[in-house]
Amino acid sequence: MITIERVSKTKGRKPVLYDVSFAARPGRVTGFLGPNGAGKTSTLRILLGLDRPDAGTALVCGRPYRRLHRPLTTVGALLDGSGAHRSRTARAHLRWVAASNGLPRRRVGEVLETVGLTADAGRRAGRFSLGMSRRLGLAAALLGDPEVLVLDEPVNGLDPAGIRWMRAFLREQAGRGRTVLLSSHLMGELAETVDDVVVIDRGRIAGRGTLAEVTGDHPSLEDAFFALTGTGGTW
Amino acid sequence: MNQVRAELRKLLGLPSAWLAVLLGLVMAPAVVLANAPYTRRTIADGTATDLADLGFRDLAFGIIGPLVLGVVAVSSEYRSTGEDAPGARQLTASLTAMPHRLRFLAAKTAALTLVVAVLAAAAAAATIAVTAATLGDHVPPPGAARVLAAVLYWVLTALLAYAVTLIARNGIVPLVVFVLNSSVVSVSYLLTKVTDLAVYLPDIAGAQMFVRGLDVPVRLSPLTAGLVLAAWVAALLSVGAALFHRRDP
Repeated sequence: MITIERVSKTKGRKPVLYDVSFAARPGRVTGFLGPNGAGKTSTLRILLGLDRPDAGTALVCGRPYRRLHRPLTTVGALLDGSGAHRSRTARAHLRWVAASNGLPRRRVGEVLETVGLTADAGRRAGRFSLGMSRRLGLAAALLGDPEVLVLDEPVNGLDPAGIRWMRAFLREQAGRGRTVLLSSHLMGELAETVDDVVVIDRGRIAGRGTLAEVTGDHPSLEDAFFALTGTGGTW
Repeated sequence: MNQVRAELRKLLGLPSAWLAVLLGLVMAPAVVLANAPYTRRTIADGTATDLADLGFRDLAFGIIGPLVLGVVAVSSEYRSTGEDAPGARQLTASLTAMPHRLRFLAAKTAALTLVVAVLAAAAAAATIAVTAATLGDHVPPPGAARVLAAVLYWVLTALLAYAVTLIARNGIVPLVVFVLNSSVVSVSYLLTKVTDLAVYLPDIAGAQMFVRGLDVPVRLSPLTAGLVLAAWVAALLSVGAALFHRRDP
């Protein structure tokens, strides 16, 4: 369960989030939808305790992220890039992450297997393609077998097979009762995967509900999105 | 404990850290070896100043090891992980795994201290051994307190570089400044010619923890010297930790 309540944030002098509230529930895939620069990543960074909000609270299973003990056993997060230093091998990266949360070493091999990187475990992260970096990031997110997944643009950089795999993977996670929150600017992609939708635009929540509720009378989620954000799809 | 283990893995998984360890181990004994013929001559004609300083004075050349270790322990966190995602850094992974800022820093500091202490002890042993092997009969056996002071000096210097990098959030500038100042031209040493106050600069004070015959306007006792360096480290580390705690990464 993820609860974001009345979160506001200003960066420098620029307000980036105004009074953002929404929830992501267990057993469902929640899509966090918005154009680039709308505040998706800013919201997720606050949720993960990386940045501090100026006002409001962001809770994971009822607690602020920074208060979680061994957080990787509760939340798995995938942000930009793999998070691995370029000169480290995938395996070495995952080993220190596992050690930091007291996770057994065998988990490293297991998550490498899950994301299909076993053969590349000994390669340096700096030589990975974008898609491989995302897989490595996901592997790190899965190390603690968490009940909540927070993924920022997870299909970014994946090839079609990777996208298909990710979609099935996320559905399967939700099917096991886990909470999945993923951000995306690709509406077509999202419509195929999510149960619930939260639309953010210029730092404000523009709509939220089940996929059917948000889509409403519009022919597609994409049309609903442009109606909600008032951008009309023009450049 | 888990976090210290993770930080040890991180630090010792960096090629640049191993380069630093190698430099730290090899530099001082190499200088002793290279200088041996000259040192033997100065001993023979009686111009050698303080025989007890032999070996210890050269130990200062290895300080590049702890300096680099201190810098890369922090700068590796801030280095971009790849061209695909220029804003992505290891720090994101570190803080999602260890979200309590000060506990994370404490673990990192402990890991660095441990690695540098072991390196310093090994480097001191190697330097003393090479000194004894090349100049044997002339050099008095090294006192344990002095060796300990040298190890402490290495650890504190590493922490100083670490603290400055934590404040700068970038390794390049601290690395260049520290390495130049400790090898090519010592700005701090030149400053001692201008003002007596310069003896309280961290590197000048620190060296007096274990070298006696330093040419400085005001001599500090080893204990005072250690306290001065420790005060620098404590002050800079507090500033670095406060900033790290407050800033969004």
